[in-house]
Amino acid sequence: MKLQALTDTTGIATPYDTLWATAAVPTKPPQGIERVMLAEDKLYVVLAVVLIIWFGLILFIFRTDRKLNRLERTLQERLPEANTELSS
Amino acid sequence: MAESASIVNLRRYRLIRNAVFVWLTLVVLGAFLLRIPRIHILEHTARNLYFHVPMWFTLMAAALVSAYHSLRYLQSGDPIRDLRAREAARVGIVFGLLGLATGIVWARFTWYLGTSLWWNFDPKQSFVVIQLLIYGAYFVLRSAVEDPEKRGRVAAVYNLFAFVTMPFLLYVLPRQMESLHPGAEGNPAFSDITHPIMRLVFYPAVLGFIGLFWVLYTQRVRLALLERRLEMRKATMLEAKS
Repeated sequence: MKLQALTDTTGIATPYDTLWATAAVPTKPPQGIERVMLAEDKLYVVLAVVLIIWFGLILFIFRTDRKLNRLERTLQERLPEANTELSS
Repeated sequence: MAESASIVNLRRYRLIRNAVFVWLTLVVLGAFLLRIPRIHILEHTARNLYFHVPMWFTLMAAALVSAYHSLRYLQSGDPIRDLRAREAARVGIVFGLLGLATGIVWARFTWYLGTSLWWNFDPKQSFVVIQLLIYGAYFVLRSAVEDPEKRGRVAAVYNLFAFVTMPFLLYVLPRQMESLHPGAEGNPAFSDITHPIMRLVFYPAVLGFIGLFWVLYTQRVRLALLERRLEMRKATMLEAKS
C-alpha cells in the first residue's frame, strides 16, 4: 500500500499535477473498491482496463456472430438451392 | 463468393489477422513485463498508456477510413463505398466507447481518488461523448432514410461533417481548458518524462490496435457484402417469379 506516497506532495512532479497538487489528498485508508484497486501499486487498475477492452471486443465479435447466424438461417429458409453452393 | 472475394482480398486479410494477433500478444506481454519508472499518483496505472490511448488513435483511424469511403461514395455512387463507410464507423464507435470506459476507470483510481467520483466533466471526456453521439446520429440518420441511394448520399455528407468536427472536439477545444489530459494548458502532448521504454511499447500498441480495427472492420465488410448479395438474389428471384 502506497499511502505514504499519496500524502507526500513534495515528491517528483507529474505532468498532470497542475490541477491536483492542491486537491485534497485522502488521509484515511481507502475503503471498499479503492482498497482492492490500489493494491500492488494500482496494478489492478491496469487489469481492469485490459479486461474492459477484452470484454468489449468479445461482445462485438459475438454480435457479428449473431448477425452471421441470422444470415445463414435466412439463406437456408429463403434460398434452399443456395445451400449446396454454400456447403461446397 | 465471387463478389466478396474480389472486393476483400482474403489472403491479405488472413495474413494481417494472424500478424495482428501475434503482434498484440507481444504488446500485452511488453506492457506488463517491462519495468517502467515510478511516477507519483500514477504508479502502475502509467501502463494504461498502452491500452487507453491507442483506443483514441484507433477511433481516429476508423473515422478517417469511414470519411474516405464516404468521399469516394459521393464521387462514384458505388454502394460498396457506402457499406465500407458504415462498417468503419461502426467499429470505430466500439473503440471510442472502450476508450471512454477505460478512461473513466483510470481517472477514478488516480486523480479522483478519495472523491468517489467516476465522472468529473473533464473537457476531453465530455467532448468525446459529444463526438460519439455525433457518430451515433450517423446510424440514426441512416435508419431514417428508406431509399438506398438517397440514404447513401445523405449519410456520406453527414459522415464528412462528423469527421470534420473531430479535430476540434478532440484536440482544439480540450486544450483550451484545464484538463487531466496531457496537452492541456500548453503541456506537451507526450511529455519528457515518458520514458523511452514506454514508447517502445506504446507505438506498437497503437499500430496493433489499428490493425485489430482493420481485422474487425474487414469481417464486417465481408458480412455486409454477403447480406447485400442475398438481397440482390432475392430481388432477382422475385422478378423472375412475376
